[in-house]
This record gives sequence, structure tokens and C-alpha cells, in this order.
Amino acid sequence: MAEKKKEVLLKIKDLHIEGYSDEEWIEIVHGVDLTLHRGEVLGLIGESGAGKSTIGLAAMGFARDGCRISGGSIEFDGMELTTTPESALRALRGSRIAYVAQSAAASFNPAHKIIDQHTEAPIHYRIQKRVEAQEDAMQLYERLRLPNPHEIGFRYPHQVSGGQLQRAMTAMAMACRPDLIIFDEPTTALDVTTQIEVLAAIRDIVDQFNTAAIYITHDLAVVAQMADTIKVLLKGNEVEEAPTEQMLGSPKEDYTKSLWAVRSFQRKQKPRPKGKAAVPVVSVQDIDAAYGDVKVLKDVSFDIYAGMTVAVVGESGSGKSTTARCITGLLPPTKGKILFQGEELPASYKDRTKDQLRQAQMIYQMADTALNPKVKISDIIGRPAQFYSGLSGGELKSRVDELLDLIELDPSKFYNRYPPELSGGQKQRVGIARALAAEPTFIICDEVTSALDQLVAEGILKLLDRLQRELNLSYMFITHDLATVRSIADEVVVMRQGEVVEQGPKDKMFKPPHHPYTDLLLSSVPEMDPNWLTTLLEERGVDNVGEAANTGGKK
Amino acid sequence: MSLFVIGYYALLIGASCLAAYFAKRSAFLLLFSLTLASFIMGIVGGVPALRAVTIAAATLALAAGTSYAFREFLVQILPEGISKEIKTAPLTAAFGMFVIFTYAIAGIFAPVIAPHGEAEVISSAFAPADENMLLGADQLGRDMFSRIVYGARNSVGLALVATSLAFIMGALGGLFAATKGGWLDQILGRAADVIMSVPSLIFALLMLSILGTSLWVIVVVVAVIYSPRVFRLTRAVAGNVVVMDYIEAARLRGEGTWYLIRKEILPNSTAPLIAEFGLEFCFVFLLIAGLSFLGLGIQPPTADWGSMVRENATLISFGDITPLIPAAAIALLTVAVNFVVDWMLYRSSGLKE
Repeated sequence: MAEKKKEVLLKIKDLHIEGYSDEEWIEIVHGVDLTLHRGEVLGLIGESGAGKSTIGLAAMGFARDGCRISGGSIEFDGMELTTTPESALRALRGSRIAYVAQSAAASFNPAHKIIDQHTEAPIHYRIQKRVEAQEDAMQLYERLRLPNPHEIGFRYPHQVSGGQLQRAMTAMAMACRPDLIIFDEPTTALDVTTQIEVLAAIRDIVDQFNTAAIYITHDLAVVAQMADTIKVLLKGNEVEEAPTEQMLGSPKEDYTKSLWAVRSFQRKQKPRPKGKAAVPVVSVQDIDAAYGDVKVLKDVSFDIYAGMTVAVVGESGSGKSTTARCITGLLPPTKGKILFQGEELPASYKDRTKDQLRQAQMIYQMADTALNPKVKISDIIGRPAQFYSGLSGGELKSRVDELLDLIELDPSKFYNRYPPELSGGQKQRVGIARALAAEPTFIICDEVTSALDQLVAEGILKLLDRLQRELNLSYMFITHDLATVRSIADEVVVMRQGEVVEQGPKDKMFKPPHHPYTDLLLSSVPEMDPNWLTTLLEERGVDNVGEAANTGGKK
Repeated sequence: MSLFVIGYYALLIGASCLAAYFAKRSAFLLLFSLTLASFIMGIVGGVPALRAVTIAAATLALAAGTSYAFREFLVQILPEGISKEIKTAPLTAAFGMFVIFTYAIAGIFAPVIAPHGEAEVISSAFAPADENMLLGADQLGRDMFSRIVYGARNSVGLALVATSLAFIMGALGGLFAATKGGWLDQILGRAADVIMSVPSLIFALLMLSILGTSLWVIVVVVAVIYSPRVFRLTRAVAGNVVVMDYIEAARLRGEGTWYLIRKEILPNSTAPLIAEFGLEFCFVFLLIAGLSFLGLGIQPPTADWGSMVRENATLISFGDITPLIPAAAIALLTVAVNFVVDWMLYRSSGLKE
């Protein structure tokens, strides 16, 4: 990286922020200090609820609805933001401090063209005339390696892919050449292959314009690529801060070490059971499926044996979840069949018997929408037991207690509570308990850990592993996170555009030679090495990175 | 200058000074602009104008005080969960609740409260108010006050039954349409469109002329007219719930439609439905009053506010306010219900964020 001027741009001292809940103010950030020099990138990491985003917004002098900055000072380029009037702050935002949100799709206004939204700030602040601003936008698009930089801005947000939109948003943040950009989890919602494009683009542009940045994320490997210094937060407190290399090499605090250790969870790989008894629990045979006229699955087949975990990986849109919908019977396949312990299952869930429905359960990605917010935990878990096994009264209660024990939640505390009162990890555990209540032999886990923090996700993976051993369950594990695959899978199925590209035991899949698409997926997973991105870009050829996702996998 | 005028200005100016002294900016602005306005009104309208202002202000203050006290009363006597909600209610909503409470008492205990029977002729036609008859007599010499009290029972009760029926039909239809989808959704949706495309009053007049004006016919006709609105709302609300993963999970478990509706969808759509119930109640109430006014609603001698307005309408040309009393009763209830509904709508929209 180039030489950087060591002039202090942002200095936050003893920042306290309070949030309003249950009719009282509760402190959520307890005195955080932060110093950022011009051209420097600071990584803020921590679990959800650590106060990362709140601090990021406070750097703009902004507190979300229901939050207030209650103490400390925020000094931006010699200006004290906590006492500056709102109108002056507004003039600062967008022109000198910019913000890139997590979901570009939700942050762009779908009713306006991208370039019009891009040029809004420079025109408003009278920095450029419209035509100049548009030309500048196109240049930025080119630098961020967006395809057709002269034309792409004139599209509407929904006509552009997620990764491109995220880059367009970064370009928009650069429109006024701000001194400071705050990136709030800009790549969390993206696939690994698209994530690389965005990361490379962000890093280049920050380097080129000598912009300072605060990079908020929960992904350590990502922050290792981006940041000069890393600050670890826990529940509104600072844990430690150190330059990236040092932080990765020798973290001091226990909490930081535990974060670093998350990806170490690994389970022994099991081989398929042999002999005549080995009938696959679920066997998907040559299924095709379509939503209306759009064909989404082509000749998908794979087997899942008892007590094994089969991971289905691929980018979004590759048909992973659709396959799950076919197995559960929500989307009857147009061709092919699904065997359950050697017997063919009716295509639609409506035609299946209660017992067939009981055998295959599902755990969902978003525990928020998977649990009815108006139903007690005891009823959520108890219902399948009541429905399938006809339990009631005391029997039902002891079964629910047993299940709560199984998922490591204290029955006396959780029995009468409602889902909105639970944390993300607890909700996911309740989702697991609901699946277990049916006493299934096969569970589909649809991205169960992708919405969770790493430590919590780790806990869920361990729980799933223990349950598998105790209850001899088979899992179909849908994920796009290869680290998860590495830790829990026995076999891997790689999907791309509705087809199975490659499948086999995990150890084989992670060793070369690979199918080119598998290779692309594998090499796109960020590693903890701070030079990983640089090396990878050199290997792939810098100019090619934007298109890598599109060309790399072609046969 | 009379003592009243001097006292009036002294009170206003004193209050403004106090507000200014204690730096209550908005209170001071309000009081002092009222003082200035009173100067002009005093010059133009004289003492009567000032008296009117005083009476209006006193009424407002009394209503506000009653609402405040009623809200505190509810907070005290209700269990903790509900009282916490009621604490957030604005004064308007508390006023609405107080009025509804009063009407409910009047309706339920009508025979005890009313001094005379609803069809009892006790005096000459259009007799003025005396100590026996609080509000005077109507066109047949029946006690107006007793008829108003009985009217609360008849009009409000009928509207309540009709709204409930409309709600049961519309909500059930909407829930089934959203859950089942497909042809059932199409049939119910188109049927609702057909009913909604006919102007409601004309449709009601038509049906009542054909089927006669018995009580049950009125209830059913009004319910049919208003159920499509409920249907549409319920279907939209339930439509947002049906796509959730927990519904999918319940379907995959093999649960029946009735279970889905009862246990999974309904608890998540009650807030907007309750607000809609209040709103619909007003419309139904006004429609029934309108029908009675036209002579097709509740039949005499049953007391009903709509028909009472019509029967006494001739009196208005003599400058008597008797026909306005039942009209005011209708208006007050409508306003009160709307106050409460506004608060509920605000709450349910606030919860969604």
C-alpha cells in the first residue's frame, strides 16, 4: 500500500450511546475511543449487538431513532460533531462523510435510475453540474470495473445484479470525494464469488483517493483484507485494537482468540454405510423443476445416507433451496422422483401421509420468520409432538422440557416466552427443537447459520453435530459458506444454475483436481492471511476480477 | 363594563403572564392569542360572544378533565398488561372510550334509566321540556329523553350485531381466500367486487324493499354490504402472513386449513382487524341511521335515532333543537369511536416498524 499521510481525521473519545427500550434509556456503547488518520482503514468487528453500526453512524454525528449520543466527543477534522447543529451535520453527510449500507438493494430507491441517485449529492452541494457529475460517475463505474460503465448508470436498481449494485453504491459514496466512508457490512449479503469483486473494488478506490474508511463487519477474513488496524468490540466495549498483522498473529485478549478460533471446529468425516442394508435415507433421482415456465432444476440427483451430512453448495440462484422444496414436496418436480428409504414419495406434500411428513423436517435460514411471533415457545415445540404422537397434558410438557434440554435452553426460563424475546441463536435453537419434536430421520438445514454471528453459528453447528450422533439423523445442509461445509459435511454436492456440477466425499472435494466452478468457489473464500486478496487478484488477473464469477466456471 | 367582562380579561391576562413567567412557550402563545382574539370579539360581538367563548372553553376543559380522569381510572382498575397500553392513549382516545362507556351503560340499563317507556305517550305533541321531561316531547307526545336512552340500545345494538356479522363473514372469507388461494380466492374476490360495485345505500334500499323491513333482514343486508371491505383487508393482511416460513413449516407438518387460520394467521392479524372493526362500526351505524331516516330501517314505535331525526324534522323550522338531539347522539358516538380507532391504528402501524 502507498505511503499515507498521518493526519488525524476522526477522533472519538469516550463515546457513550444510549438506546430507548421499555420506557428507559439503556447504555449500549460504554465509552469507546477511536482514532482514524487520513487514508487509513479501520476495521470494526464484533458480534451483532456489539455496537459496531451504532458507532459507525455516530462517526457521522448521527444516532438512529430511539438512540442518543449521551456522552463523549466526536471530532471530525477539527469539528466537534456532538455539538454541531443538525443543519451543519447534514451538509457534512454525503459530501465529506459517506455511508455504504449492508443491503444496496434496499438502500437504492427502486423508482429512480442509478445515475440520478449518484449525481444527487454533487448537484445538491453544487460541486458539479449534472453533466459533469454524470461523466464523473461513469469514470467511477469504470474504476470499480462495472460492466458497460457508460450505460449501466441509466438502468434501474432492479436491472442490475447484487454485486454490481453494491459497487454502484460504493461509487455513489465516492461521488463527492468524501474524506471518510463508513462501510457497514457491504459484502455480508453477497455470495463469495461476488464478494471478491466488491472487496477488490472498495480497496482500490480507497487506495486511489486516499480516503479514510471505517469497515464494519463480523467476518474476520474479510476485515483482514481491508483494514490497516482492527478494533474488536464486545457488547459496547472495546476489547482490543491493533494493526492487522499483529492482531491476526498474536491476539492478546481471550475474546479475540475465541473469535479467531471459531473456524477451527471440525468433525470427522464419515464414509457411506456399506453392504445390503445401505439404502439411502433420501435419494433424489434425476429431478427437473420449474417455476411456471422458468426451468430451475435440471437432472439433479444425489443420495443421502443414514447418519450422514450432505452439504449442498452454490451461489444464490443455483437451485439449492429449490431442491429442498422439491424434497419437502412444496414444489412438485416436473420429472424424476424422490425416494425415501427406498420408497417413492408422492410429489406433492399434500398427498403424503402423516408419517412421511414426520420423517423429513426442515430448519430455516431466518429464525425470525420461521417462528410464529405470537405463539409461546412451549406451543411451538409442543405442537409437532402433539400432532404426530398425540401427546397431551403432562406427557406433552415433559416432552417439551426434554426437547428444550436437548437444545441447551433452560425449560423453566423459556417455556412461557415468545420468539421476539429471544436472541437470534436461541431462536434458531427453538427452530431445531421444533424439527426434533417430530422425531424425524432426515432434516433439511437451509442456511441455518448464515444469519448468525460466528460464535453463535459455531454453537449451532456443534449442537447439530451432537444431535446427529445421538439420534442418528441425516442432514441435507444447504449453504454458501464453504467454511461451514469444511466443518460439518461428509459429502458435498456443488450446484450451479440448477445443475449438479460435481459431487463426492468432502476430502476429495477439497483436494484438487476440481471442476473449474468448484475451484472458483473454493478460491473465493476469504482467508485469514492479509495478503490473500492481493495474491488471488494477481493469480486471476486484476482486470478479470469483475467478470471472474461469470467466466471462471464455464466449461 | 360588567364584572363578568373584567373577570374574563383579568383571568386570561393573568394566566398568560403566569405562562410567560414559567417559560411555557406554547401555553403562553395560546393564551395570549386568545386574549387578543377576545378583544376583537368583545368589540364586535359584545358580552354574549365572550360568554360563548367561556362556555366552549369550560366544556372543552371539562371534557379533557373527564377523559384524563377516566384514563387514570382505567389504568388503576385494569390488569397490568392492558393498563400499560392505555397509559399511552391520548386524551382524545380516552374521551372516546368514556363516551362509548356511557353509551354502553345507557344501552344496557335503558329500562332502569329511562323515566318512561319508549312508546308511552305522556304529554301533548312537541311539548317543551319541564321537570318531568328532560328534553321535551316528540311529535306524538312521547318523552324524548327516554327515547334517546332506548335508542342507544336499539340503534347501537343493531349496528353492533350487523358489524359483527359482517366481520365474521368478511374475515373468514378473507382468511380462507388467503390461505387456500386458487379458485376459492378468485370466486370470493370477484363476489366481493360485485357487491362493492353497487352503491351501498341503493343496494340496501333495493334489498329492503324486496325482502321487507324485519330486523333480521336489516342485519343480514347491512352485513352483506359491508363484508367485502373486511374481506379485502383481511385477505391483504393474511396474505402477508401466509408467505412466512412458519406457515410453510405448519403446512409441511400436515396441518389443516382451519388450524392454520386459527392458530398461525389470526393471532398475527388481529391488530389491524380490531381497528377496522371500529371503523366499520361507524359506517354501519350511519347506514342504519340513514335507512331509518328514509323509513326503511327500524320500524316505529321502536325508538331509533335515525327515525327520530326524521319524525321531529318539522320542528327545525320553528327554531327548536329537538330533532338535533338524536342527530348529535349519532355524531358523538361516531366521533368517539373514531377517536379510539385512530389511536388503535396508530398503535398497530407503530408496531409494524
